[in-house]
Amino acid sequence: MLVTLAFRNLWRNQRRTLLTLSAMVVSAALLILALGVFSGMFKDMLASATEQYYGHLVLAEPAYHQRRELFSSLPAELADLPALRDAPEITGRSPRLRSFGLLSRRDTSQPVELLGVLPELEQQVTTLHQHLTAGRYPAPSDRNAALIGKGLASKLNVQPGDELVFVTQAADGSIGNDLLFVSGIFATGDSRHDNNLVLAPLNWLQQVLVLPGRIHEVAMLVSDPLNAALVAARLNPQLPDNLEVLDWGALLPEMREVIAAYDVSRMIIVTILYLATGLGILNTFFMSVMERTREFGILMAQGMRPWAIRRLVLLETLLLGCIALTIGLLCGALMTLYMQQIGIDLAGYITPVTYAGGTILPRLHAVFEPGNFSVPAGMLLLVSLFAGFLPANRAARLDPVAAVREE
Amino acid sequence: MTDYLHLAWKNLWRNRRRTVITLAAIALSIMLVQALHNLSNGVYAGMVDSGVRAGSGHIAVYQKGYLESRDETLYFEDRNLVDQIAALDGVEQVLPRLYVPALAQSSRESRGVLLVGVDPGRERLINPFLKTLPEDGMVRSSDSRDAVVGSRLLEELQIKLGQKFVVTAQNLDGTLHSELLRVRGVVSTGMKDIDGSLIMVGRERAGMLSGSTGSVHEVAVILSEPGYSEAVLRRIVRLLGDHPGTEAVKWERAMPNLANAIKLDYASQKFIFLIILLIVTIGVVNTLLMSVMERMREFGVILALGSQARTLRAMILLEALVLGLLAAAIGTLLGSLATWYLVAVGIDLATFVPETLEFGGVVFDPIMRASWNPGWMARIAGYVVGLTLLAALYPAVKAGRITPVEGMRHH
Amino acid sequence: MPLIELKNVSKIYRLGSQSVTALSELSLLFEAGEFAVLAGPSGSGKTTALNLIGCLDRPTSGQVIVSGMNLGTASSRQLADFRLQHIGFIFQSYNLIPVLTAAENAEFTLMLQKVPKKSRRERVRRLFAELGIDGLEERRPADLSGGQQQRVAIARAMAGNPQVILADEPTANLDSHTAEELLELMRRLNREQGTTFVFSSHDDRVISQARRVIRLEDGCLSDDTGADR
Repeated sequence: MLVTLAFRNLWRNQRRTLLTLSAMVVSAALLILALGVFSGMFKDMLASATEQYYGHLVLAEPAYHQRRELFSSLPAELADLPALRDAPEITGRSPRLRSFGLLSRRDTSQPVELLGVLPELEQQVTTLHQHLTAGRYPAPSDRNAALIGKGLASKLNVQPGDELVFVTQAADGSIGNDLLFVSGIFATGDSRHDNNLVLAPLNWLQQVLVLPGRIHEVAMLVSDPLNAALVAARLNPQLPDNLEVLDWGALLPEMREVIAAYDVSRMIIVTILYLATGLGILNTFFMSVMERTREFGILMAQGMRPWAIRRLVLLETLLLGCIALTIGLLCGALMTLYMQQIGIDLAGYITPVTYAGGTILPRLHAVFEPGNFSVPAGMLLLVSLFAGFLPANRAARLDPVAAVREE
Repeated sequence: MTDYLHLAWKNLWRNRRRTVITLAAIALSIMLVQALHNLSNGVYAGMVDSGVRAGSGHIAVYQKGYLESRDETLYFEDRNLVDQIAALDGVEQVLPRLYVPALAQSSRESRGVLLVGVDPGRERLINPFLKTLPEDGMVRSSDSRDAVVGSRLLEELQIKLGQKFVVTAQNLDGTLHSELLRVRGVVSTGMKDIDGSLIMVGRERAGMLSGSTGSVHEVAVILSEPGYSEAVLRRIVRLLGDHPGTEAVKWERAMPNLANAIKLDYASQKFIFLIILLIVTIGVVNTLLMSVMERMREFGVILALGSQARTLRAMILLEALVLGLLAAAIGTLLGSLATWYLVAVGIDLATFVPETLEFGGVVFDPIMRASWNPGWMARIAGYVVGLTLLAALYPAVKAGRITPVEGMRHH
Repeated sequence: MPLIELKNVSKIYRLGSQSVTALSELSLLFEAGEFAVLAGPSGSGKTTALNLIGCLDRPTSGQVIVSGMNLGTASSRQLADFRLQHIGFIFQSYNLIPVLTAAENAEFTLMLQKVPKKSRRERVRRLFAELGIDGLEERRPADLSGGQQQRVAIARAMAGNPQVILADEPTANLDSHTAEELLELMRRLNREQGTTFVFSSHDDRVISQARRVIRLEDGCLSDDTGADR
């Protein structure tokens, strides 16, 4: 009954209600869209660091990430540790050996980071095979095939099939060098990978470094990257003391901070936008309450209690908030869906931006993240209630005698 | 005119609460947009400043093609170029740099690095990476074996300050050439990529390593007044006549990462500004429409008294104009106060972020400070006045369309 | 030449699918200087006739000619200008602009006529004195009694020196004593300044004061007594 009354009251001045509603819908929907696109940027950024390099989790000796010491090596069988194998969230495990050195082609040489991997396992963790621009991904049977970044390939002026020399310091103190041939070239858009990263067969690198049967780390992928820290925390007690699983947040604290900072800025943006919207709601309901002074006077004269009047007005604002919320969420979801499916390519305007250890690709591309819907939605209802509070109080404080006399 | 202004003013305050709330909404939005814009402008300016000082300078000279390929074979002989540019008006400092891809080796570890050969005296004065370096921590002379090394790289190589290490690079003739260096200073910028890869030596020593003594890849020019880059750029281009195949570019092209990071951030901010202004405009339409709808009877009377419909429309638009101007004035005043605070005090992020923040390849100053941008503030205020007028268009047309008889039938 | 001429004027309003005849085939002549009342019960067409005479509305058929101008052929812009220059209005519920002071209200038509402020002030001051409301210039309408508001409305109607003042039930919201005073005032203005007054009323006490009484019934003329001719 009260809800029906509130609903009818809302539609008394259709134009005004619709305008207020549209302001609420616009703010909620565009906010959801903007947040979805921001999240898309962060997702690209996170993906460039994890799915193109680190993985979501990395198993290594506790001090390995500090120094990436050649001698902090582990037996290769660790990749099949039962604790890792049986964890349901882990969807890929890739044993890796890492080396830093110079890659040369005739008279040019470039500093590189070379990862010795098992191609079939590496593909479960990183997505470089989806970013090939020429050639092919190394096959398990290749003895010395290398996958190199596009920037590196152009600096060294090589094509798939060309030979390269890798020079580095081996574990026995000698200078190790050996031939590689380029099997494929990848381009991720992240210049640090494209200019610096090389994948080569694990066995080959083990020979070059004189570290047979050894690896430095096991990179792993989990189903939900935002849960990686939890998975790591669960796994660590099950591991021997000389081993540790770190999640991407621990490897890239700056990225974790940026994502945490985003949660704060999301609140700030939402608050600022809703402040403007809230003032509009406040205005509308003040007008609506003032127009109905006489009516409220009569209701009160008939014995309606002030709190019931207050409740009625609050119910109206809340109802308006709910309607705006429904339409706003729907429009926001549709726009987010469009930006997720189609998006906007900015490649003509900007180049990829490296930021906090990740790379933002030159595209506007949205992702669905629950927080991007729940925060604007919850805040909209809160704002509606707050904005309704003053007018509701005003209505409840009316003097029935004076109010009835009002024209 | 003053009569109509007087009338508009009085009409504006007819419903005091409504006008105050609307004014507050508009003024608040102007303030927020202006203050946020000035803040990010200040932050961007700070980033650009530290970015160009560590990077390409406001203007950089390269061999053509180097910028796109970063191909180390594209160097050029500087001859007197550095001194000539340094003598130009508006140039604060000139930093010649030679980049050499090399393998750094300690007795235990090796890392691929991009060694940079610099003019130690000049670099020391400008490069923010070297800010934390102790008095005697810098490379002593251009041909010394001193090296300044990133803290993370030092740790990865497992060597300490004062210890020796070897760098190996490919010489011009294709043979490998090694040089023994000693760690003279350690830099810790907070950026993993820099701290993990920086080795700075004198440019003579770097030239010996790569066999290109007397050559540079980059001449970074720091301006004393960044605003006058066009004029200085023209003067530099004139000097480049003696160096065929070279080009002078502005930092936006030399450091696309930073330029694009700023562009991207600014674009997303503009989108938020747009939403704010849109919402405010809807609110203003609502207020003005309500105010017009309540006065239909009065408009009927005014028309009956002999006012032309266009006079009535003008009266309503004038009312909106007064509202818009008032809001713009209050908003700009608040925006100026906020900017003043943000310029004088700023926002200290150090309490929120424990570690140094990096953005677009530049360490972010934890104290964010705004910078004044009066032209832009005026433009935003102007936009808002325009939007208010736009918002009044529909109500004004609506009021101008009624006949006196219709109007007077309202109550 | 008569000041106002209505020739076979009909006015039919459409209300949805129904049409209501407010005036049918009404013919009337008014000379300058008349003091005439349109009498009749509500719904008899008084207000419609006044609206037509006041150039606020156009007839469905027939001709309305005011001071030589034919309503049927004039544009709305011309009509507005004509009203501004030649016609004064007094309304039943005064219709003063609430945000303006009494003097500003009276000055309103002069402002629309672009009369300089100084002469406007002077004119209104004299009018207020004449109408017995001097001293109330700076009051807002809300602070004035009904009689005072209607006097301000008369000042507003008089200010532009119109040829004719039209008053729609000017005394209906006033008590009988005030109504009497106001009517006396209008008659005096008519006598002394020669301004033509046409007003509508259904109050017999008011009607008895008029020199000419035109009775309307269901949109038709039923009686016209005391015409100057």
